[in-house]
Amino acid sequence: MTTATAPTAGIPVGPGLSMFDPIFLGIDEFGQPVYITLAYRNLLAGGEPGGGKSGLLNTIAAHAALSADCRLVLLDGKLVELGQWEDCADAFIGPDITAALDVLRRLQQVMNNRYAWLRAHGRRKVTALDGLSVITVLVDEIAFYSATIGGKQEQEEFVALLRDLVARGRAAGIPVVAATQRPSFDIIPTSLRDLFGYRAAFRCTTPNSSNIVLGHGCAEQGYSATDIAPTNQGAAYLIAEGGIPRRIKVAYLTDSQIAGIADYAAWTRRPSRLSAPTGSRLDWEIAA
Amino acid sequence: MSKSSPRRSFGRKSTGTVTVIEAKVHRSSARNARMAFILSAVVIGVLATVVATSYVHPIIALFIGAAIGVPCGALAWLLVRIWPVLRLLWWWTPEIVLTVLSLTAWVQLANHTPTIVTLAVVAIVLGVPAAIPAVRRQVVAWVWCLIVRHRLRVCFAQFIVANQSGSLPLILWAKPTPVGERVWVYLRPGLSLADLEGRLDKIAVTCHASSVLVERASDGNAAYLRFDIKRREVLTATVTSPLADVVTSDIPATDRPTPVVPTALDLPDVQAPTVTLPVQQPKKPATTSANGSKPTAAQSTDADDVSDWI
Repeated sequence: MTTATAPTAGIPVGPGLSMFDPIFLGIDEFGQPVYITLAYRNLLAGGEPGGGKSGLLNTIAAHAALSADCRLVLLDGKLVELGQWEDCADAFIGPDITAALDVLRRLQQVMNNRYAWLRAHGRRKVTALDGLSVITVLVDEIAFYSATIGGKQEQEEFVALLRDLVARGRAAGIPVVAATQRPSFDIIPTSLRDLFGYRAAFRCTTPNSSNIVLGHGCAEQGYSATDIAPTNQGAAYLIAEGGIPRRIKVAYLTDSQIAGIADYAAWTRRPSRLSAPTGSRLDWEIAA
Repeated sequence: MSKSSPRRSFGRKSTGTVTVIEAKVHRSSARNARMAFILSAVVIGVLATVVATSYVHPIIALFIGAAIGVPCGALAWLLVRIWPVLRLLWWWTPEIVLTVLSLTAWVQLANHTPTIVTLAVVAIVLGVPAAIPAVRRQVVAWVWCLIVRHRLRVCFAQFIVANQSGSLPLILWAKPTPVGERVWVYLRPGLSLADLEGRLDKIAVTCHASSVLVERASDGNAAYLRFDIKRREVLTATVTSPLADVVTSDIPATDRPTPVVPTALDLPDVQAPTVTLPVQQPKKPATTSANGSKPTAAQSTDADDVSDWI
């Protein structure tokens, strides 16, 4: 049996983070850090393959995994983009639309229960002081579930459930972060796409594709994701708090960094931390 | 007849007013000075007279008022006439102050220390910032802040047509950013954000920059703008997340069950009608093959099947 020494350089931050905190996304074009608060928002990321969408999803997933008050629901048609977070997540769905529908139905039920709970308390939205967890739903390749696998009926049900989550989940503490390459109407209904408040457009090949992500008329105002160099992965236009698209560079986590954070988060999330090193555990409790 | 002559005189007059801007500004400055003299002389004279009447006879008070009002008016006239010079001095205040300070320091140093010590001090003061890259970059960034304020003023004076009196926007402070400089500007009447947005390329050329962005610096005041002058690109850099650094590495690794390693990783391993995904455990045997013949029983295995190749 080995006993690890207590970390001296830093205090574990996992339990100290919250989904109500601003999430570090990267830097803007002036070198300043970019933060977004996702607890009451939904984010849609679009852009060509290899543009950096999964980098964005992983950065958000890292913050969510380290947040003590957050549960993760991951839907990943490619299995590998979010697969490293499987141990931190409450649900990890691969290319299986039946399982995806099951978990979305569960989320819908939770959402309904939360609204009933809020109504019983005469309130309108969940806050950080309620002690309820924020259930972050991360969907990579939304098009895979809404247009590729399963039957027509299942795809439509998937879209309907997801639209319900995006539409009503905000005040119940169920933010949705979805990524797809080109969220045009044949992939995602416009009624679903337009509900996402925050947008991130990675490199697009045409101004029209950029407009589909950012909103109509953005390319004409000079905000076109076609400007981004194909070699500059992770550069994007982000519409968040300011309302105006701004150029950002998304932070990138390597596989080993993700593995380290995921292991740490899985350890802090373990219901009984019996295998924890004694020194670290002491620090953990001080930090909490 | 009577209609044509006023039109001609009007036309002549209008062509006469189209002159060089410099003369126009000069003339308006002379007129402004005259107006300033009259206004301040009258207002201050009247006020002084009113105050003086409570102490002396009104006629004497009138003389006192004139004696106070006329010098004050002259002072106002002088201020307005030399205003361009004052403005120029104000624009160059940082440079003037810096030059005076450094010259004073140099003279004091040279007078009070031997030459060797003087040169040594100067070498340290100049050499250390030049040798340390971080300090050097900081100094260069601040020097660019001084330069860019003058360049922006050149933009406004040279090719951004402002109002009739030729007043320039107030160029406020500047500070370095990782990509260049950020300058705050307060617009005078006659300009707007939309006017400037169409000229950003020219402003970038004038500021020797790569590009310039302008946005509002205040929600409540449209005149208060912020120029971002970009000389470098930071979006091509690799950004790392701080979360990776704060997580300790001496945590127990999560014991994951060894996953079933999927097979059939190459194209010949997968048969035509059904595409196998790792999670779909029960594998449906193909009912027919591509040529319509009955599939053999061994077709569901991953090994190469001869019937696939026939």
